[in-house]
Amino acid sequence: MLNQTPLLGQERFVAPAVETEHPLAADVDTSQPPESQWKQAWKSLRTSWIFWASSILLLIVLVVVLFPGLFTSVDPRAADLSRSLEGPQPGHIFGFDRQGYDVFARTIHGARASVVIGLLTTLIVTIIGLFTGAIAAFFGGWVDTIISRLADIFFAIPLLLAAIVGLSALNNVWPNRGYWGGVLAVVFALAAFGWPQLTRIARGAVMEIKNLEFVDAARSLGSSKWRNLFTHIIPNALPPVIVTATVSLGVYIVAEATLSFLGIGLPPSVVSWGNDIAAAQPQVRSGDNLHVLFFPAGALALTVLSFMLLGDAVRDALDPKARK
Amino acid sequence: MQSKRMFKYVAALSIAALAFTACGGGEGEEAGGTAEGEAVIHAHGTEPQNPLIPTNTNEVGGGHIVDQIFAGLVSYNTDGSTELEVAESIESEDNLTWTITLKDGWTFSDGSPVTANSFVDAWNYGADPENAQLSAYFFNPIEGTDQEGNSTEGDTLSGLEVIDDLTFEVTLKEPAADFPDRLGYSAYFPLPEVAFEDMEAFGEKPISNGPYVLEEWNHDVEAVLSKNPDYEGNRTPENDGLVFKFYTDPDAAYTDIQSGVLDITYQVPPSAISTFQDDASVQAFAEPGSVNATITIPNYLEHFEDGEEGQLRRAAISKAIDREAITSTIFDDTRTPSTDFSSPLMPDYSEDIEGAEVLEFDAEEAQELWAQADEINEFTGTFELSYNADGAGNREWVEAVTNQLRENLEIDVEPNAFATFAEFRELITNREIDTAFRTGWQPDYPSVYNYIAPVFGTGAGANDGDYSNPDFDELLSQAASAEDDGQRAEILADAQAILMEDLPAIPLWNQDAVAIAAEGVEGVQVNWQNQPDYYLVTK
Amino acid sequence: MWRYIVRRLLQTIPVVLGSTLLIYALVFLQPGDPIVALFGEKPVSEAARAQLEAQYNLDQPFLIQWLLFLKGALVGDFGISYSGQPVADLIARTLPVTFQLAFMAMIIEAILGVIAGFYAGIRRGKIFDSTMLIVSLIVIAIPIFVLGFALQLIFGVQLQWVPPTVGSNTTFTNLLLPAVVLGLVSFAYVLRLTRTSVIENLTADHVRTARAHGVSDSLVNRRHVLRNSLIPVVTFLGADLGTLMAGAVVTEGIFNINGIGNLAYQAILRGENPTVVSVVTIMVLIYVVASLLVDLLYAALDPRIRYA
Repeated sequence: MLNQTPLLGQERFVAPAVETEHPLAADVDTSQPPESQWKQAWKSLRTSWIFWASSILLLIVLVVVLFPGLFTSVDPRAADLSRSLEGPQPGHIFGFDRQGYDVFARTIHGARASVVIGLLTTLIVTIIGLFTGAIAAFFGGWVDTIISRLADIFFAIPLLLAAIVGLSALNNVWPNRGYWGGVLAVVFALAAFGWPQLTRIARGAVMEIKNLEFVDAARSLGSSKWRNLFTHIIPNALPPVIVTATVSLGVYIVAEATLSFLGIGLPPSVVSWGNDIAAAQPQVRSGDNLHVLFFPAGALALTVLSFMLLGDAVRDALDPKARK
Repeated sequence: MQSKRMFKYVAALSIAALAFTACGGGEGEEAGGTAEGEAVIHAHGTEPQNPLIPTNTNEVGGGHIVDQIFAGLVSYNTDGSTELEVAESIESEDNLTWTITLKDGWTFSDGSPVTANSFVDAWNYGADPENAQLSAYFFNPIEGTDQEGNSTEGDTLSGLEVIDDLTFEVTLKEPAADFPDRLGYSAYFPLPEVAFEDMEAFGEKPISNGPYVLEEWNHDVEAVLSKNPDYEGNRTPENDGLVFKFYTDPDAAYTDIQSGVLDITYQVPPSAISTFQDDASVQAFAEPGSVNATITIPNYLEHFEDGEEGQLRRAAISKAIDREAITSTIFDDTRTPSTDFSSPLMPDYSEDIEGAEVLEFDAEEAQELWAQADEINEFTGTFELSYNADGAGNREWVEAVTNQLRENLEIDVEPNAFATFAEFRELITNREIDTAFRTGWQPDYPSVYNYIAPVFGTGAGANDGDYSNPDFDELLSQAASAEDDGQRAEILADAQAILMEDLPAIPLWNQDAVAIAAEGVEGVQVNWQNQPDYYLVTK
Repeated sequence: MWRYIVRRLLQTIPVVLGSTLLIYALVFLQPGDPIVALFGEKPVSEAARAQLEAQYNLDQPFLIQWLLFLKGALVGDFGISYSGQPVADLIARTLPVTFQLAFMAMIIEAILGVIAGFYAGIRRGKIFDSTMLIVSLIVIAIPIFVLGFALQLIFGVQLQWVPPTVGSNTTFTNLLLPAVVLGLVSFAYVLRLTRTSVIENLTADHVRTARAHGVSDSLVNRRHVLRNSLIPVVTFLGADLGTLMAGAVVTEGIFNINGIGNLAYQAILRGENPTVVSVVTIMVLIYVVASLLVDLLYAALDPRIRYA
């Protein structure tokens, strides 16, 4: 292709000095088998400050999710209407919302439902999507056709509408679900119609790399089809999947907020960032008392940020060429 | 070369988008350019959910329009008092058989006269179950209908008889002294002869006899109403026409008021509830209103059966709710705590009803009453309050009420949300709901009687809690045949005293009648139905 | 190529059947009695109920209802809404507006997302990259019903750059702000996806080769890095049109746009099954066509992918 058209800048044939250090062949240790790709990835992860920063953030989020009582002793559902919408103050550093709830306690206790919804949905969706997508692209033919069309059936129904209808159908067959039931129902509704997005991304990525040289090389070296899929293709198809998944994680947490705003997400008895953001929406018009919006939304943003950064770091580590 | 091809794709897509929007724009301008004029009022409406047939209109979207384009036998003034409109006289010796005489000279907008048949045929149509009209219930008092107001035999009601062109006779099942007051409701509006030829087409573009006529119903966008030049009734329009612009989100309507695109709305969105009265870009009107909110605890719930325990618990719940705190914070004073089962706006409202102190907040006494009930039968489990989440603002107050009950009665209390009104109502109607639930009443005609008879009378249509008390029923029928208004008000106050004791529903508050208008709009008056009187609005 | 297109078109038949059956099942499982809802707080007589049930096929078993729907849909008859209008009319009225809105949103998100993602990728770790991270974070973490509302108040009410609501006046300028709002979340996806691919392709062999051949940086970036980075983006965008159209539920409410998302949502609230199912069927068709186009675009972008 390069030879077909004269290229601008070709006359100034000066290659930029890209120095790639070539390890001396003698330095290569052949007594040990080569390290697995995962091991190498971990090695490079360890040196990434982004990885550590986001991991620490996520660890904090995880502790908040598991042990909210460590951070606040205030009952997130204790309402004092006489303190409605009071601003941040000593002892109540995030202030009060319209119902007179302590916003700090709500933000801490709201983490559980929101993070579980985001994480669990993403996990389910990624696992299903990655494998169905990879298998479809790798085997092609009728396998691809069946998986792709099945994905189409679910994905053709737009996520938000599907979640609305799915959730109210769940109400019918599964009423009075309680806290975890409420959370799981939202997870099911989002995952049931969300997985094909990842299937498509994974399929596209696998299609792109399955004909690349190193895959051919592995195949010619006698690597089995399945082995090939798991050791070479899936790891290399991961980057776009990880990126989509980390963005989706945030989108799912926010989808819960939207569903709650429309009145069909989590029941009001479940404390969640989404429920609180939905309840805070009216404050936007006057711009007064925005603290009721700022704290749950901020907590959500921070959580999404740490997942996105972690996703970035993992992606880098998995890409052998990006390694330094 | 490949890369050029790529950029061509993008360019082609952008051009397609522009072309697409360009033709869209052309259409939009055409649609928007109707019935403009200085004195035409643009009001907030919602897309009618049913064809514009008076007997088939039971929601605000269609109701707004139908009320403006039709005139009934009587009309309501802003304060709720009744005035004869198409009727010359409505008379009865025994409150059972009513002779209605029409004024001569009324016509529909197609020129055809308004006759006794216009009313009788319309009512027969409305009551005929074959037509499945949504407001059939209003014919329930008339002889020849079943409990739901549908005719029992054929397509004509035995209680309706045409005497001559301008006279007809109505026979009721039971005496009702306030029958004339009911006749301003939209279900009783007349229909022209042409309507019965093709009701479907009529519902799209009704021919009517009211202050306005419908020029155009541009679905999902607006309804354009122009002044009816032949109208000579009580509600002469001060403006040159009305345009109801349709919104699905009251927030968008409020935003349009702020920017002057819309002249008037009857709804305060939650985002403006605390600021609209001080918002310099709009005019706000708020007065006590007629729509009330209540909690119904069905008597089939354990611990809430008829009898002493149920009475004690209902009273305890009522006294454990600090209505004032909720109306001032959650609603920013756009609700007024209830003092009875109706509204202070009603002409027969009574200030001192025996036992009304049960509506006053007293946490200690509430606990005491609850403890007394516990002595009869210990309460365990959770008390739940159900609501439909698709109604704006329900969640906020239900959450506040349940918080107060949890705090003040020291029991488990939870809000219980249903996604849609359809789901919520189905369970209530089938008596399958196993929790307390929110209820409310908007009067069909201005009288305390209308707040309690259809809601708490034995077997009445909206008696969701299956309340039944023979003493109360007796007072209702006495009120229905009372000699004068004063006597009737007294009887109704006695009937409410019984309700205060039994609390078949727990009154919470009345929604204030609110209107928000753009700058420069004048003549805004909110009527007893919590609606602005659109015909008086000018700018 | 043609054989491939024909085969894919044939494959859309089971997809449409499957999707409509799925949505029909879900809608059938909806709690709530639409007839009770129609009557509000007033009672319904048996006779009136029977009349309405027959009118809307509600008295039929679920599979029969579905088959009756399909039979009608084949000839463009989607039934009658509870407000007495043909559902086909409702769709014809609302679809163009939403399509226009979603299409504008897609163009905006694609162009801005690819450009921003491209520069963030080649200047990885620099200020622009970090700024874009913050922007995408805000866009993802603040729900549209807050963000869209805030933008409407800022640009529509305060600054008055655009009309705050759209109504019947669906011109390009009026729809611009709603389209931006609608495309925001997808913009974040496109940005992140493009950035990742660009970073990956910067170190790819053929890019290194081109560089070694002395091709200027900007040309390499454009010709080799960008083009190869577009594949996952195109995959995403192809599936996004449907998401945008449904995502319009909230956006259309905020800006008072009479679109198909709002139509579907209102119909769900009212339990108007014929309308819900018809709207979804239309969205399925749009999706199927869009995803076919995407698969064909692959071939254009990546010569290694061939369809037999």
